[in-house]
Amino acid sequence: MSGSNRLAGLTARPKDTDAAEVRKIDEVGEARGFVDRTPRKKPGRKPSPRTYQLHPKVLPMVGEGIAAEAERLGITQGQIIEQMWANYEQKR
Amino acid sequence: MPVIVMASPKGGVGKSTCAVLLASEFARMGADVTALDCDPNKSLTRWASHGLPKGVTLHSDVGRSELVTTIKNSDGDGKIVIVDLEGVASQLVSRAISQADLVIVPMQPTALDAEIGSEALALVKEEEEALSRTIKHAVVLTKTSAAVKSRVQKELENQLRGAGIDMIEPSLVARAAFSELFAYGGDLTSMLNNPNIVTGGKVDKALLNAQAFAEAVYERLK
Repeated sequence: MSGSNRLAGLTARPKDTDAAEVRKIDEVGEARGFVDRTPRKKPGRKPSPRTYQLHPKVLPMVGEGIAAEAERLGITQGQIIEQMWANYEQKR
Repeated sequence: MPVIVMASPKGGVGKSTCAVLLASEFARMGADVTALDCDPNKSLTRWASHGLPKGVTLHSDVGRSELVTTIKNSDGDGKIVIVDLEGVASQLVSRAISQADLVIVPMQPTALDAEIGSEALALVKEEEEALSRTIKHAVVLTKTSAAVKSRVQKELENQLRGAGIDMIEPSLVARAAFSELFAYGGDLTSMLNNPNIVTGGKVDKALLNAQAFAEAVYERLK
């Protein structure tokens, strides 16, 4: 078996590839047990990406104080905590 | 150009070996071969990781949803598409059969392989009826003995022929070189010419067997 000319003469038969045709084939296969065995993705919500969000529980008046100060300075509560952490690191 | 699909819901019958032998032999003949690895075991991808023969392109991880489109996109002038399927009864198999110009069902000469493999043959028949067109299909016996034809093999051949099933001759003999293709990559010719490859088998005999098998498949594609 040699030479590419013989292979060049080979042809494919035209085949339908539309959705209806594929659905029909799926039904024929399923009737014989050839079912969809594509691995299912793990169910449920995916874990959130790490955002470094803190959920500290503090006394009510401390929480109100932080919120009021953040509003007065026009920054977020997170930024106040960052400043507090920076001061803590300096003093340590 | 034709699409050849290796199908059997049973694993370990030689689908990937048939796919590799046909891909490399048709490429050696000058065809532009696209092999689609649809088997989660990734046998063809493992073979390709050691080096693909010239003229063979491989698409890995082709799933159910993209199979038909990938076959369509791979088809073209001077191209042969070879699809290696997973050894289970799945929609992927039924969809691939619908796109085939030739379905090859490899079977070892055992009653179990014949029984499970016949499910693929029955599916081809049902798809033919549903699509109102013929889908050429044939059985090739694999891992047969080089020395003697067993009684079981003779009986199986008679049963299949009696049922009107096209049998590809020659069968694929159990050769170490066939399985070692997955360890070394490339094709049997490169294996034969590389003195560094130690196969523990007769590569020349394996090559002759593969060439005769590819010739028999070619005859069915004309």
